[in-house]
Amino acid sequence: MSTFNIWLGILQGLGTTAQVTAYGLVFAVPFALVFGVAQFLTTGMTRFLVTAIIEFWRSSAVVVLLFVFYYVLPVMGITLSALTVSALVLGLNTGGYASQAVRAGLQSLPAGQREAGMALGLSRLAILLLIELPQALIAMGPTFINNLIQLVKATSLVSLVTLTDMTFRAKEIAQTNYDPVAIYSALLLAFFVVCYPIALAGRWLEARIQS
Amino acid sequence: MGFNLDFALSTIPTIMEALGTTLLATVLSCLGASALGFTLEMIRRGGGAPGLAVRFLIDFIRSTPVLAWLYFLYFVMPFYGIRLGAMTVGILGLSLYYSGYLAEVFKAGIDAIPKGQQEAARALSLNRRDTVVFVIAPQMLRNVAAPLGNYLVSILKATPYLAILAVPEMLGRAFDIASETYRYAEPLTVAGILFLGLALIVAYGVKRVEQRLLAAGRR
Amino acid sequence: MLAQAPHPLSADQSMPHVRIHGLNKWFGAVHVLKDIDLTIRAGARIVVCGPSGSGKSTLIRCINGLEAFQKGKIEYEATSLGKNTRETAKARRQTGMVFQGFNLFPHLTVLANCTLALRRVLLKPAREAEEIAMRHLTAVRIPEKAKAYPAQLSGGQQQRVAIARALCLNPRVMLFDEPTSALDPEMIKEVLDVMIALARTGVTMVCVTHEMGFAREVADEIVFMDEGRIVEQASSKGFFSGTAHPRARLFLDTVLRH
Repeated sequence: MSTFNIWLGILQGLGTTAQVTAYGLVFAVPFALVFGVAQFLTTGMTRFLVTAIIEFWRSSAVVVLLFVFYYVLPVMGITLSALTVSALVLGLNTGGYASQAVRAGLQSLPAGQREAGMALGLSRLAILLLIELPQALIAMGPTFINNLIQLVKATSLVSLVTLTDMTFRAKEIAQTNYDPVAIYSALLLAFFVVCYPIALAGRWLEARIQS
Repeated sequence: MGFNLDFALSTIPTIMEALGTTLLATVLSCLGASALGFTLEMIRRGGGAPGLAVRFLIDFIRSTPVLAWLYFLYFVMPFYGIRLGAMTVGILGLSLYYSGYLAEVFKAGIDAIPKGQQEAARALSLNRRDTVVFVIAPQMLRNVAAPLGNYLVSILKATPYLAILAVPEMLGRAFDIASETYRYAEPLTVAGILFLGLALIVAYGVKRVEQRLLAAGRR
Repeated sequence: MLAQAPHPLSADQSMPHVRIHGLNKWFGAVHVLKDIDLTIRAGARIVVCGPSGSGKSTLIRCINGLEAFQKGKIEYEATSLGKNTRETAKARRQTGMVFQGFNLFPHLTVLANCTLALRRVLLKPAREAEEIAMRHLTAVRIPEKAKAYPAQLSGGQQQRVAIARALCLNPRVMLFDEPTSALDPEMIKEVLDVMIALARTGVTMVCVTHEMGFAREVADEIVFMDEGRIVEQASSKGFFSGTAHPRARLFLDTVLRH
């Protein structure tokens, strides 16, 4: 098998990699926004609960978490496709990280911003949506880009729960061709081609925010 | 079939037996990643062709998944006649992967030292080696302690990747039980809880050390 | 040390310590120092002043090799700057530098800040290094803070420690780069007092400062710089009694009005 064919073979998994990433974002973005804001606004018992949920997703080892959900949910009588379980686990893990950026972004705003909003007679919700969140999300843009790259890279895990992503394809090809150098270099390169442009976009964004 | 709590509890001691392997892999990988990351950053700082090459290598590592690196090392090294144990390959893989991140940590730690410090060292006629050892390194260590601690936790959470190379750490042990008993839910749940607990404990410890360093910095 | 021995820094008045000749420096396309000629005699107390951006800090940083220059010469008694790193290091060994931002090492105690170069550069044993450091800390009136860390000191105290640290290496010339510009007004006096006391010991010093009171009291020579050139160079008396150059006159009016 030529190097070119190995490349093509691995790229057949790109669709699944993209799909898991996209579905993962469906879980990650709302989780990060809701729980980041909730941790910022709440106090006492509510805050403790919010923090506990975030910490569960963020502090768990994502490899283990994926296996736990993959094997435990069916036992609980919940049957989800491997794709859904993967998107859920990888997405909420990433969302847990991103929620911390949302909270940190909100906390780093000077109190004067909220006070100015209150002085204008805006409601708390309006202050949050119109004044605080836009500033926090822009300031944290580069961090979110990093979170996105982590998500794309984590999708390589779905090969362990039978999804035919790029990593899975590499292993499939390796079963019929003993050419590990070409196959696994191509796999690394494939991820680089996907992730590096995102990283460059993040740097560009960071430079723009700083200026 | 349902979730059998008694069976789950009975797996705890067996999985815990692998705690030592998990911790050893964590500590050795963190040391390896620190040493390699610092070296990479020094070469990058040196500039020239080696600096440019390392800059690209760091970007490359950060744009590729750790799993792909583990497969790469595990299958490619024997191809060139290098035969190492799975544990060694795993630690090498984690060290290599995280060195890309720790290089950035060291970069930030050095960049945060004001330029005036080096100038003062030069004005006092300290040579390059003494400037690094007595002026730059101590301040860098204080700057990198907190992010380094966070990466220690990240590396701990990445050690279950080694189960894929059949290293008998905690997740690997859980899979052993699963394949012997054909029950996956219980041992994996136990492994999940143990890893979460471990990560929270280590993170708490790191935070304590960080606070003490911060207090020391305010002396 | 004998009580009547002259201060080690004071020397034969006739011999020049440093001779700067035709010094030119560019930052990229910007010509920051233009044909600077300056002789620093032993025992001289030179104050360099001028508006911001006039190149005075760059000049003083060139004198001990912190900044490279493109044209001209800086000659020390036995060596010349910029020839090679070895010669530069030799020349730099003869100067002490006090920075605007103190630049104390935050992870070291006051005493360790002072002994570091004594031990690593002059290779003094620990006991002797500490004795020398304590002597200089006493001279800048801060011996009681020897065990403190820089962050525990006020700005004025930090700058006094920085002066002691520079004196420890027994330099032939002390260079001051706006030593009081980063200080709160109430701390400026304590630093200037130390510098005045130091000047009385006969130390050779070159000081970039806006403190015209200090200049009038201490300096025997005033160098006025503007746009990278030495516009006027006069005795202190001459400069303050009626400087000829209109730009120096304007500068003096602005500074003295405060």
